[in-house]
Amino acid sequence: MREERDKQKAHLRVCGECDLLQKTPELQAGQLIRCVRCQSIIEKKRYHSLDRSLALVLTGLILFFLSNMFPLLTLKAQGVEFDTNLIASSIELLRIDRPFLAILVFVTTIVVPMFSLFGMLFVFMSVKMRWHNEYVGPIFRYLHNTQVWGMLEVFLLAIMVAGVKLADLAEVIPGISLYSFFALILVLATLGSTLSPDEIWDHEREAQL
Amino acid sequence: MSTLNQCARAQGIVGCQHCHTVTKLPKDIAENQCVRCPVCHAKLESRIAHSWGKTLALVLAATFMFIPANILPIMNVTYLGTGTPDTIIAGVMKLLKAEMWPLALIVFVASFVVPIMKIVVLFGLLITVKMKSQWRPVGRTRLFQITEFVGRWSMVDIFVLAILVALVQFGNLASVDAGLGALSFAAVVVLTMFAAHTFDQRLIWDAMND
Repeated sequence: MREERDKQKAHLRVCGECDLLQKTPELQAGQLIRCVRCQSIIEKKRYHSLDRSLALVLTGLILFFLSNMFPLLTLKAQGVEFDTNLIASSIELLRIDRPFLAILVFVTTIVVPMFSLFGMLFVFMSVKMRWHNEYVGPIFRYLHNTQVWGMLEVFLLAIMVAGVKLADLAEVIPGISLYSFFALILVLATLGSTLSPDEIWDHEREAQL
Repeated sequence: MSTLNQCARAQGIVGCQHCHTVTKLPKDIAENQCVRCPVCHAKLESRIAHSWGKTLALVLAATFMFIPANILPIMNVTYLGTGTPDTIIAGVMKLLKAEMWPLALIVFVASFVVPIMKIVVLFGLLITVKMKSQWRPVGRTRLFQITEFVGRWSMVDIFVLAILVALVQFGNLASVDAGLGALSFAAVVVLTMFAAHTFDQRLIWDAMND
């Protein structure tokens, strides 16, 4: 009886955008479902989502640490050099007495990206290794909520804009970390297109209901 | 039994916004009681509570902050002892004069067009929702999704400022300082992002349900 009900529940969906109750078919990898009324994507299933995402998260973590270890950009003028990286740009804002800006930059370029990488590692490992614990759901939900506040790709654009702006003022030298930072953005973008969150949620539903 | 292809709220059913679990709400919930999703423990709400008012407040605040963000200088570039304060538009003009128009376009779109577009779209959505307009709900949903996604790119100016402040520290020769405009601009970005977060796009479809 209970299994019957659960089976029905799994196929009953409410569109998150327009609140329409609908029945959805079981998805195969590579397929997606759109809402019958507002055409928003309701669910996507990707190939080997979990394994690929796990590999990409590990790569991302390594690249994130590399990006923070060495300078991203160096400016050289009259024999004096100044370099910057992610953390330095928020600390320097503190130096010129702009704590609000410093916190904003720190949260969007360090805290949220780090939390999301470690959080995803924990969630994917828990699902992959079948460690049942009550934290997977809430953590994955927080990751989804804070996603828009991770702005590493915007920062990459800012590096390029700043580099071009400074080019006629002094010599701009791209740092070693710039390459790993560039790779990190590619990895994060790929991660966004390999992860199917519903796979994690289906797993959680099976474990909890 | 529930009816398919009907509004879920009218049937006392709620779909979790995070994990998409479908739950039937209990009939008698007290005023201050909150129901949580059995799977991800998120608060279950058919519509975000006071979504309209909260979004309006945040968009209004963002609109007011947009004025100082554009009047006050965003950064102060000191070069050879003389400082020149730069507003957002002045910065764009400088880039245009230096014939770096692709860059000027990026900065102009990210820090001027996008915030204005966001504020206008959110106001438009608030008005059409209040009027229970049935005008192109699919288009309005899409517009909201784009607004939600594109807003973060406005941060590019703040990040450029942060990088310049860290890099250009040659004392009297050349240095960069953040102006009050930067603070107001950051507030606009944060406020509009929160506004997009509190706006419940399901409200757009409520006029279609009756």
